[in-house]
Order: sequence, then structure tokens, then C-alpha cells
Amino acid sequence: MPRRLLGLLLVMPALAVIALLFILPLVMSAVGAFQLNGGWGLGNFAKAFDLYLNDILFSVGIVSLSTALIGFGAIAIGGYLTLGAHPVAVTILRWLYRWPMFIPFIVVGQILRTFLAKNGMMNNTAISLGLMTPIDAMSFLDWRGIVIAFVWKQTPFVALLVAGAMASVNREGIEAAVNLGASRLRVLVEIIVPQVTATLAVGLILSFVTMMSVLSVPLMINAQSPTMLTADIAFRVNAYGDYGVANALGLISLVLASSVAWIYLRISLKERA
Amino acid sequence: MKTLSYAAFAAALVAMPVHAEELTVATAGDQNMVDYINQYLGPLFEKTYPGNTVRAVGTGPGDAGSQKILERFDAQAGAKADKWDTDVAVVHEKFVGPMVTKGYLAKYRGDIDTGKLVTRDNAKMALGTNVDGYVMPMFNSQTAVAYNPTLVANPPKSYAEIVEWAKAHPKQFGYNGIKGGASGVSFVMGWIYAFGEGDATTLMNGPFKEEDTKKWDKALKSLADFTTNATLTPGNAGTLDLLSRGEIAMGPVWVDMFYSWKADGRLPPDMKLFLPAPGMPGQPMHYVIPEKTAHKDLAEKFVALATSPKVQAEGIVKRFNWYPGIDAQHVKAELDGATWNKLFVDISPEDLASKGKPFPIAPYNNAILEAYEKSVK
Repeated sequence: MPRRLLGLLLVMPALAVIALLFILPLVMSAVGAFQLNGGWGLGNFAKAFDLYLNDILFSVGIVSLSTALIGFGAIAIGGYLTLGAHPVAVTILRWLYRWPMFIPFIVVGQILRTFLAKNGMMNNTAISLGLMTPIDAMSFLDWRGIVIAFVWKQTPFVALLVAGAMASVNREGIEAAVNLGASRLRVLVEIIVPQVTATLAVGLILSFVTMMSVLSVPLMINAQSPTMLTADIAFRVNAYGDYGVANALGLISLVLASSVAWIYLRISLKERA
Repeated sequence: MKTLSYAAFAAALVAMPVHAEELTVATAGDQNMVDYINQYLGPLFEKTYPGNTVRAVGTGPGDAGSQKILERFDAQAGAKADKWDTDVAVVHEKFVGPMVTKGYLAKYRGDIDTGKLVTRDNAKMALGTNVDGYVMPMFNSQTAVAYNPTLVANPPKSYAEIVEWAKAHPKQFGYNGIKGGASGVSFVMGWIYAFGEGDATTLMNGPFKEEDTKKWDKALKSLADFTTNATLTPGNAGTLDLLSRGEIAMGPVWVDMFYSWKADGRLPPDMKLFLPAPGMPGQPMHYVIPEKTAHKDLAEKFVALATSPKVQAEGIVKRFNWYPGIDAQHVKAELDGATWNKLFVDISPEDLASKGKPFPIAPYNNAILEAYEKSVK
């Protein structure tokens, strides 16, 4: 019995931290979403949908598109690392692709803000190479900028997971396919990817949830309308001191995020079974 | 011998000034506000009142920074703390009203001798709340429209002319909406002053009437049309960025930021400013002292020093290109003509007096922002 008590004591600090710093604020903001001036109701949600429906759809659209592109990018990188025939290229790619993981989102926002502007580095380079004329230059500081930032930052994370999973795929199947004359692209699509879907899904879901919560990138690149939900939440609090609608928006994005987290849970339960 | 040295040590401890205090100054605003206190005001105060130290705490840029200070006060009031952890706070105008209404602040202006040097209206009323005696303005800032004279030879003079100009030059006017900083918010408020069907003076002075909020539909619809033809920039700095790169020819900016960028070489030296009729809003940042500070006396000395003509001249005008918080004539006497005139190169004191407006009172302010969110999508 004392042993069990000791175990309980040991786990208490961690539990307390989770309860006080995560669960309690979550419950409080969930409750706050239904709190109106002197009463309870759905008024905050009505206002949230009235003002920010476009932004909710925009956020889901941006994050879904980014997730899809991240998936393709990660498969391409992982695939080349596994199947690449040129050892030098593989080494260089292996060394390079992880870098964006170590750069904070706000820095990504700052870099892309100057890179993607109308007269930014990207367009200037293209113009000086003669690829386009100055009159055709346009700014990417809108939804495209957000997608580029997300994909650039999150692809390495998913690629890391996927490449690890691909490396542990049984080589015999791959070699058999190659011997029978399958192209490398076909080996990737038909042999390797089906075996790493669980890892890929987990990586993408974690990315989806992360991207739903990023504030700095939309603020730096495009805090206009439509914009991401996080920018709206910050605006409700900072401009109006209105925690009610901010909490409602938070709850809406929680529902969006947890709908994919639910898939994650199902996958991990299936893996354990 | 050992006892003797202990005794000497004890005597030295007793002889040291017992009133050494640490003054905590919380400031909203960009890093430059924290730097101003850490690098200039703090050391000056420590030199003037030896033995005391100043600790500056930055709470973040924009309204969010002031909101954090207000929430800090809310928390300490809620916890019924006897002594609060902030001695002086620097907050935006919008947050002073709630702080006074909730009884958080000390009425200290009468206690300090620089209090008499402020007569401007915005030291008495803050967006519709009477704050007379509770605040000392640190500085006044103003928004205006910056333009590139090589692209715009004859700048518009009014909002109506800006509309004309923007129609003729699609995407050449840029502003940062309302979610990316207050220069865009200010442009929107000026738009409602110009085109709203209500009375602009009621918006600035109150009283708040619900039915007035219905009078902006046409103005906001035209603003939505205007916006599709304009460039939306990422933030206050974003507008200046785009101006400096020639991507837009015109856009609303903070005057002090504009001059600082120009001085740093981040904006081409030929850029200019104008204040369109009927006017655009500006706002002061205020020094406030919580009622429950542990160092009231010292806090008052700090604000008195910070609002003395010398510090206002050297720190506020010369270093930051801000318009002084105390009345201009007291500060002007401390500065040479060239430095003083730098503030008024593009915008004359007369323009500033006639077209420098306050923001609308808080309920109208929020109602306009929300109506904008609804109309301009």
C-alpha cells in the first residue's frame, strides 16, 4: 500500500500541472463561451458565426490545403531519402530538409514577409533572371503567403516521421518490385506509401492541429479579412476586451482540431490493439 | 578583532540609506518604450534620486499591451491585494477610462508640480470618461497619410479627394485594415468622421446613442468598395514597408513612426505627410499610478520627472519625434528651432490643431470596429 501511495505522490506534481495549467483554463474558457452579460446562452456563438463565418471556412480551407501539400512534400522527401540513387544528393537533402523545423513560426512569418512581397526577394530574383517583367510582379502576402509559410515550416516535421517509417519498411518487397521492372515512382506510390499511411496520418494530424493554433504567421502575413481564426481571437480580446466571443471562437477551433485528433486517437488505438 | 569587524559591518549596514526602493514601471507599446525607460528615463531617475532603482516591464505592443496591464490590475483587485506590484504604468488612452471607473488609479496630478503644465482636453477626458487628475500624458501621437511625392505630385487634401485619387490609381493606396495596428483603425475612424451620416463631434464626445450606430451603413459600404480597390498591408510597419519599396504610393501611418523610419534611413528621405480633412485621430499614452502602489511618493516623483519640460524635450521630442505630452510652449523653450520644427515639417501646428482629432468614445469605437468587420469582408 505505501508503495502505491508513493507512486501516487510521485505522479501528483505532473497531474497537478496538467490539471491547473491545461484542464482548468480549458474548462474555464469553454464555460466562458456560453456566458453572456448576466446569464447564459448561445449569443457569443451567434455573433462568432455572424462576423467570422468566412474566417472559419478560410481557416479550415487554408489548413486543409496546407496539410495536403505537406503530405505530398513529406512523401516526396521521404521517398527520395529511401529510394534515391545518388548518394551525394541524398546526403545533401538529408542534411538540408530538417532546418525549417528549428525556425520559430514568427521568424518564418518575418522571412516570408520580405521574401514574398511585390518587390520582395522572390520577385526581384525572378525579374533579374529575366523570368518575368516588373509589371507582372505581384504580392503573395495573402492566403498564398500563409499556405507557403505553413508548408515550408511543417513539411520537415512530417517528412522526418515519414522518412523514419519508410526506412524501416522491409527492403525485400521494394527490391522485388524493382527487379520486376517497377519504376521508382511506382514503388513509392504502390509499395512504400501504403505501408507508412499510419505514420503519415499521425504526422499530418499533428501538423493540422499545430497550424490551427498559429497566430504569428497570419498576423505577419495577412491579418485582413478573411483571416485565420487565431487572428480574430486575438482581435476580440485586444480590441474589445471581449472574452465571450473569443472563447466561442476558441471552442469552434477546438472542435475543428479535435475532429482530426479523434482520427489520431483511433489510429493509435488500432496500433496498440 | 572579529567582533569589531562584525560591529563595523553592522554599523555600515545601518548607515546605508534605508529608503532604497525599487520602482516597477509597466509599459505597453513596442520595444522602444521599454528601451526609453531602461536606457533613458530610468538611469536619469536613479541619478536624480540616488539609491532607488527602476525596473521596466514591457507588456507588449498595441492595445494588447494595455489590455494586459488592465488584466493585471483586475487580478490584483480581485485577489484583494493590499499592495500592487506595479508603481507606474504607461497605457493607451482607451484603457484609462475603465481603470478610473473601476477605482484602480490614484488621483495624483494635483500632487505633482508638472501637473499644471497640461491643459489639453485629452488629459481630462479619455474617450468619453472623465479622467481629470488621474493621468499625465507621456506623449501625443497622431496619424496622417504618408505619400511618395515622385508618384503623387499633387496629394489629395481631403478624404473625398483620397477616394477620387484611389479610384484613378487602383491598388496604389494601402492601409492595414483594423486588425493589423492602429494606423488602419485611425483611417477607418476618420472615414466615418468624414462620410458617416451622424455628427462626428458626438462620436468624439458622446453621449452614446444606440440609434447613431445605424448611420454608418452607406459610409461602410463605400469603404468596402474603396478597400477592394486598395492594397491591404500587413500592419503599421507593413504600410511603411510597402511605401518604401514603391509598392504603394500612399497610406495612413503614425507620424512619429514615419519620422523615426526616415531618420533611420528605412524610408526614402523625400517621403511626405498630409492630414486629410476633416481630420484623422491621434491619441496620447498616459502615465498612471495605481492607488495601491507600495511607493506612491516615489512614483509621483518619477512621473514628475518624466513630464518635466526638459525630459519631454530631450526624450520625447528629440529622441522619438513624438508630440509632447505637456503643453507645447513649455517644451519648445527647451529646444533649438531646428529640432522643434522637425516635428512640423509636413504638418503645420495649425493643421494639427484643426485636423488632429481624438478617437471616438469607447462604445462608438467598438461599434464602428464591429460594423467594419461586418461590412468589409
